[in-house]
Amino acid sequence: MYEIQNEMSLMDKLEILGDAAKYDVACTSSGVDRRGKEGFLGNSCAAGVCHAFAADGRCISLLKILMTNHCVFDCKYCRNRSSNDIKRATFTPDEICDLTIEFYKRNYIEGLFLSSGVINNPEYTMEKMCETLRLLRTKYKFNGYIHVKAIPGAPQELIYSAGLLADRISINMELPTKESLSKLAPNKSFNNIFGSMGQITDTIAAHRMAIGKDSRMERSDINQYLDNSIFSEKKRIEDSKKDLFLPADINDTKLKRNFASAGQSTQMIIGATNESDYDLIRTTQYLYQHYDMKRVFYSGYVPLNDDPVLPEIGTPVPLLREHRLYQADWLLRYYGFQANELLSEKNPNFDERIDPKCFWAISHLEQFPVEINTASHDVLLRVPGIGPLGVKKIVSARRYGSVTFPMLKKMGIVLKRAKYFITCNGRMMERIPIEEKFILGQLAGLEEKKNKEIQKPEDNYHQMSLFTDFGMSVQA
Amino acid sequence: MHIFTCTRNYEAMLTCIYVAWASGFGHKNIKLELEPFGQYSIFDEYTHVDADTALAQKVMDAVNMKLSPYFYSEIAYISMGYEEDVLDIMYRMMLYGFTYGNKALNMVQFDEIARYKAIRKRIGNEICRFKEFSRFHRIESGAYVAHIEPKSNLLLALGPIFQDRMPSENWMIVDDVHKEAIIHPINQNFYLRILNDEELENVLASERENDEYTDMWKVFFETIAIKERENPTCQNSHFPKWTRKHVVEFMKDS
Ligand code: SF4
Repeated sequence: MYEIQNEMSLMDKLEILGDAAKYDVACTSSGVDRRGKEGFLGNSCAAGVCHAFAADGRCISLLKILMTNHCVFDCKYCRNRSSNDIKRATFTPDEICDLTIEFYKRNYIEGLFLSSGVINNPEYTMEKMCETLRLLRTKYKFNGYIHVKAIPGAPQELIYSAGLLADRISINMELPTKESLSKLAPNKSFNNIFGSMGQITDTIAAHRMAIGKDSRMERSDINQYLDNSIFSEKKRIEDSKKDLFLPADINDTKLKRNFASAGQSTQMIIGATNESDYDLIRTTQYLYQHYDMKRVFYSGYVPLNDDPVLPEIGTPVPLLREHRLYQADWLLRYYGFQANELLSEKNPNFDERIDPKCFWAISHLEQFPVEINTASHDVLLRVPGIGPLGVKKIVSARRYGSVTFPMLKKMGIVLKRAKYFITCNGRMMERIPIEEKFILGQLAGLEEKKNKEIQKPEDNYHQMSLFTDFGMSVQA
Repeated sequence: MHIFTCTRNYEAMLTCIYVAWASGFGHKNIKLELEPFGQYSIFDEYTHVDADTALAQKVMDAVNMKLSPYFYSEIAYISMGYEEDVLDIMYRMMLYGFTYGNKALNMVQFDEIARYKAIRKRIGNEICRFKEFSRFHRIESGAYVAHIEPKSNLLLALGPIFQDRMPSENWMIVDDVHKEAIIHPINQNFYLRILNDEELENVLASERENDEYTDMWKVFFETIAIKERENPTCQNSHFPKWTRKHVVEFMKDS
């Protein structure tokens, strides 16, 4: 481990600390609308703004860096672990502010995502991070988006300050079970992670109530029509309203900012341990319900360290599995599904050939076909090929008369998927055998090409460039 | 068919609408086109219309007062579009508006209204692209300058977006295609300016003014991608090549 602090240029540091931060997936700048104001730099837009797309196709919205990649912890999966002999660097608070401001003015980014390795201990690290953010908000007058990573186990006051200075705050769960965590991240503790997460949840709720909002974060409005939505059961916050933490004597309250108004998020690594998809989505649902997470992210494991407890270096990143989990996450947040409807102990993993919604529909053929002209919101949303927007259109069109297949097509309903599961005025679109194997084959066929592109994007590219390299034209 | 034509200038477009409307040929027998247009046809009769502030104002007032400011802003919005039929669609929107009232904007059963929706959506996407992908360069005076080459004339839509983002900076966005710029002096409102060739030449040089932050951004951009996940197809679909010309991370070092 070495760092030649004096000789290192800002460019060198950026290269090291940008590289070290890239495995954190969250890069969204969403969740809060804030107008600009004179004398300050920046604003924020609830939908988020992507400013660039990197070579891996991921959006770059924030300057995502670590404050330092020095770390006293030794998490097995992490490049920055203390036992690795790598180049180390540390930004000064002013350097971070300067980069954020200058990148922001050039319209490269929407703001800053600050994370860090643990220097000395969680308290010291969190303190330094708060100092940086405070400087950025006050001396540098930055009014754009900030996402800060909280260091589990840091004192509550410091996490409180961090949340006041930032828009979103997150703690990475990394692994969904206690066993995996103690195996791969021996210095971290499940209790610390959940303890700090819970504090954040409660503080967000308290702040929201103080300004007259509902204690829980806003969710997509389609959920109000769904009886079975994971968000209709209100857990945890209602139990813990009594002892909310809102200290008045912390200096950062003078800034008059809300605590993490874009909410809390977290991330889990996929494929480093042998948890099933069922474990992962059950944990996800638990986090949404009990901790009111705004988002749960998944990060396909990229093998970086040679370690007997981890997949070998060179093992492909489980991109398709990650994709399926994100699709399932959508089903929880926008489609009124519960984790235990999608998978079970007996059937714990998604089928990589088709998306989780089709998978569910095929295993529940007894509930289909449904009649477009009479089915409820919940039922329509469960039809493959129909999304929340489609449901709204169908329901509003039904008020004026009966809906037909050509009308569905005009509304943008994906009939090549939906046709197996619906009737319009009692008739199916074509004569279709409602038979599990047949429909599975048809739907898997539709997705085959896309699945390949997701799991092996580079193969696909090589093939394309081979054609151009050799001046061959591809016949359509 | 009587065809009324004008240049792509907002005032001229509104005047053209006025003149066509007042012509008395009947809405079915007229068409409005922007210059330059494709081919003359010997069966049609052409009338060129020049901008007239008073007549344009009449159209503005009529839409604002008899329909609504919202209706008017929708007409102004789609006038930014590069689509050839934009002017005729503006005319038809007003026609349906004066027949059915404000709800006309949602009557997608009419082809022209469906077309207005489609144009609107496309312009919205284009504005969004330039909000994301415009890149500013710092010039010697300390001001920030961006160059863009949009298909539509959308500077006026970008103005408020960047004014809110950087209210206390001097900045300018130059549309190299339409030869216009919006200029934002520190703590003031932005304004639009049509550039002559000499001015355009001068501001073009600003794009070559790179500094250490440009270089650092390029390094960050390269570093942040995860090699094991490389996916050029996905990158291209999110960031189409035609929008990359002035984007520093894709520009070759000179
Ligand atoms: S705490 Fe663990 S995951 Fe975080 S930087 Fe240190 S070693 Fe890496």
